[in-house]
Amino acid sequence: MDLLQQIFQYVLDLGAAVFVPLLMFIVGIAAKMKWKEAFSAAVILGVAFIGMNIVIGFMLNALTPAAQGLVERTGIELNIIDGGWTSLATLAWAWPLAFLMFPLQMAVNAVMLIINKTQTLNVDLWNVWGKILTAVLVIGVSGNVVLAFLVAAFQMVIELLLGDVNQKQIEKITGIPGVTVSHSMMIFGAFLLPFNWLISKVPFLDKHVDADTLKERIGIFAENHVMGFIIGLLLGIVAGYSVQATLTLAVQAATALTLFPMVAKLFMQALSPLSEAVSDFMRKKFQNRQLFIGLDWPILAGSNEVWVAMIILVPITLIYAIILPGNNVLPFAGIINTSLAVPALIITGGNLLRMILLGIVTTPIFLYIATGFAPTITQLARDTNAVNIADGQLLSWSTLEYPVFRYIFADASSGSILGIFFGAVWIVLLVVYYRMMKKRTEALKKEEEVA
Amino acid sequence: MKTVIVACGSGVATSQTVASKVKKILNENGVKANVEAVDIKSLDQYIKTSHVYIAITKAKKEYDIPTLNGIAFLTGMGMKEETEKLISLLKS
Repeated sequence: MDLLQQIFQYVLDLGAAVFVPLLMFIVGIAAKMKWKEAFSAAVILGVAFIGMNIVIGFMLNALTPAAQGLVERTGIELNIIDGGWTSLATLAWAWPLAFLMFPLQMAVNAVMLIINKTQTLNVDLWNVWGKILTAVLVIGVSGNVVLAFLVAAFQMVIELLLGDVNQKQIEKITGIPGVTVSHSMMIFGAFLLPFNWLISKVPFLDKHVDADTLKERIGIFAENHVMGFIIGLLLGIVAGYSVQATLTLAVQAATALTLFPMVAKLFMQALSPLSEAVSDFMRKKFQNRQLFIGLDWPILAGSNEVWVAMIILVPITLIYAIILPGNNVLPFAGIINTSLAVPALIITGGNLLRMILLGIVTTPIFLYIATGFAPTITQLARDTNAVNIADGQLLSWSTLEYPVFRYIFADASSGSILGIFFGAVWIVLLVVYYRMMKKRTEALKKEEEVA
Repeated sequence: MKTVIVACGSGVATSQTVASKVKKILNENGVKANVEAVDIKSLDQYIKTSHVYIAITKAKKEYDIPTLNGIAFLTGMGMKEETEKLISLLKS
């Protein structure tokens, strides 16, 4: 037993960039991949880890001095650097038990289908990382592995249920029948619900705004390198840098934002044979049933409302970051708030003004929770050796997906009475959201019949 | 060699899933092409240097290059037709 533990510890000590590929290779062979393919995928996975580590390190080293300049000059302390979702995905995949999320998701989906509690078949296996991240955060807060898996399983159930009730609205927006979005980011809809209800009482917000023309005009700001350059420039100016240093920082920031998705793509390349095999297997098992195929959120990316809302929220997020007392996050790689815009698109049925208003109301929540999770996230990076973070540097994600759910349930898992109480409140909100979307589905169906 | 692009919200996940799948299908059919996952935010730039665009969304505007339905590759429904279209576009 001791020997086994020693071997285990030895492998873990190799660091995520070595042991996760090793694990991936074993899983690949077990899933009947060819040796050649499994080996190639495993090495690419290692490259993804090292690559992300380089880019995150580059970003931290470029931005941290500027953040220090900011605090010295103005007293505004934004010492937590926002690494965006790609940084957090790196941490998630570095968890030694991450791969267990695949069979868990298959089992949860199969059971839910067999007992007829859902019609959604989630074939988006890539986003198991969202459940892995939830589990990792639960462990970071409570240290409880069993509860981490339970919360992750609960999240899987919710995303299937939301896949069911959101389907008609998604079909209405995209024009694509038979598919839904089973991405967990829809969970944020439960939290948006009361605000959306309030906003829907305001009459003049029902105006239709032409998002398509707006997107043509301001779309350039959403391009990674442009966004990075502008944020770097602003940061250099407020940090009191010289012109030369400011321009250098701007190009460095543009570099970081351009490289993040390029490198993160390697994770997908490595994992795609495996996730492909799993989703094929699931589809075959349930091919005789009429189901909604659950996909990732970008099937909604054709809605220009999403892009316009996200771009308009960028300066608002930056202003909040500076003026909110108690916020320490410097919004950067995660500043494009998909986590808000996509559920807001669904709950408002594509009303741009309401989406923006929901963003203005809830952005502080994103920043506060990102601040709250920063020590946990930084510690996780150190524990797994996935990302090297120097002393005095802090990492987070300014627009963490479904922040409220994650914060409440991580807190509740540590036995906090407040966490359990808010967990209960949150479940009530979810039930109300579910019923509301069910009603909306009926209404949309009637509309279709009339037309 | 011709270039096929697949776009999604970040150029990382969905687009890469479809790109990997398309690449595999093309290999099996002995068709050589560059298949790239790109970021939809910079789509206009990529369109200029590509030959076929596989969309995961319902595109509202017309592009200068042929556009195929990427959802088919995700759900498996209608995948055969899209594959045939793609191959004939690449061979022409």
